[in-house]
Amino acid sequence: MWQLTPGQSLVARQWDEDLVVYNALSGATHRLGLGAAVLLGVLEDGPASEATLAVALQTEFSLDDGEVDAELPAMLDRLSRLELIQPCSCSTA
Amino acid sequence: MLLLDSLTRAELRRRLRRGELVLRTGPFATRIRSDIAAVADGMACIYGAHSVEPPDSFADFQVNLLRSTGWRRWFRPQVRFDHDGDAPFTPLPLAQAFPMLEWVMNWCVSNHAHSYLIVHAAVVEKQGCAVILPAPPGSGKSTLCAALAMRGWRLLSDELALVRCSDGLLIPLVRPVSLKNASIDVMRAFAPESRFSTPVGGTIKGIVGHLRPMEDSVARAHEPARAAWVVFPRFEAGAATSLAPVSKTDTFMRLIDNAFNYPTLGQQGFEVLAGLVDGCEGADFVYSRLDEAIAVFDGLAEGTS
Repeated sequence: MWQLTPGQSLVARQWDEDLVVYNALSGATHRLGLGAAVLLGVLEDGPASEATLAVALQTEFSLDDGEVDAELPAMLDRLSRLELIQPCSCSTA
Repeated sequence: MLLLDSLTRAELRRRLRRGELVLRTGPFATRIRSDIAAVADGMACIYGAHSVEPPDSFADFQVNLLRSTGWRRWFRPQVRFDHDGDAPFTPLPLAQAFPMLEWVMNWCVSNHAHSYLIVHAAVVEKQGCAVILPAPPGSGKSTLCAALAMRGWRLLSDELALVRCSDGLLIPLVRPVSLKNASIDVMRAFAPESRFSTPVGGTIKGIVGHLRPMEDSVARAHEPARAAWVVFPRFEAGAATSLAPVSKTDTFMRLIDNAFNYPTLGQQGFEVLAGLVDGCEGADFVYSRLDEAIAVFDGLAEGTS
């Protein structure tokens, strides 16, 4: 399971294929891809499993399972290293 | 409105000695106190078209540029700066007093005027088309800015682009254009009518000279402008003139690198900068010939470049 890092407030702007995110908690500005926008959008509604996040990517970008399996771990790792998301032991409602 | 040009040199020096010279530059009034003749001479040369406020009027900044005291004043005289009692810089040789005035006025604005997003950039405008020119030192920004100002573009600023947080408009901060080293002679040849302060050598930036801004630009310092372009200039000897598009994301990220108070403003800074970029085109601009550069910029103003 993954969740947005608690306490942060994100604002974002999308231009073409880029998403620029400002994290009011850290004061950092990040340049991300649209895939990250999809993941952050899902997590904004609450914690989600990797399976849920994978479905969201597949739906948004018409990807097959193999493509999602290849991309998702790296995307989660990057967002986690930027401290925008974090693993959680919580369960969905 | 009293222009600095209307003060006699004796009156200018008297006001400076007493801390009664209140100079209006764009939205700011700066009270300047100095006992150094070169400061008065530089101001008379460069700020003649600027207005001065009554001696007892409110000032946003208090700048004191005074001769150092002590034994040192006899063999290596220096100028020291303090702002409301704080002395954030080490003293400089006395000969650098006027350049120091310019630097400390920039410092006052970039460190205190947080109702603006402040970008290290020149700003020029023609026919309602305002162009922001962010660039690191040595890029040829000020040379290009000066050339444009001498060819019909309105100067809004050479060093500090002020983006008003409340509405995203560019607020003029018309002050001299700071030129360094070979650029001084380049501009003298390009615009023989240009007026400079006495060039000062040995500074951290080499030889520095300040170009007096055009009177029309000073007179229109109350007119904001909306940015239409963000152009990143780069002088490259012998290079062909070229204008290449820069994506909005790259424009945004590169503006962050040039914004003094983006971290201070936090989310507001993000939103102001994003709004600015929403309304602008971005471009990299390489030039070596000023006439060609001006033709490209005129094309931007006319919508043909």
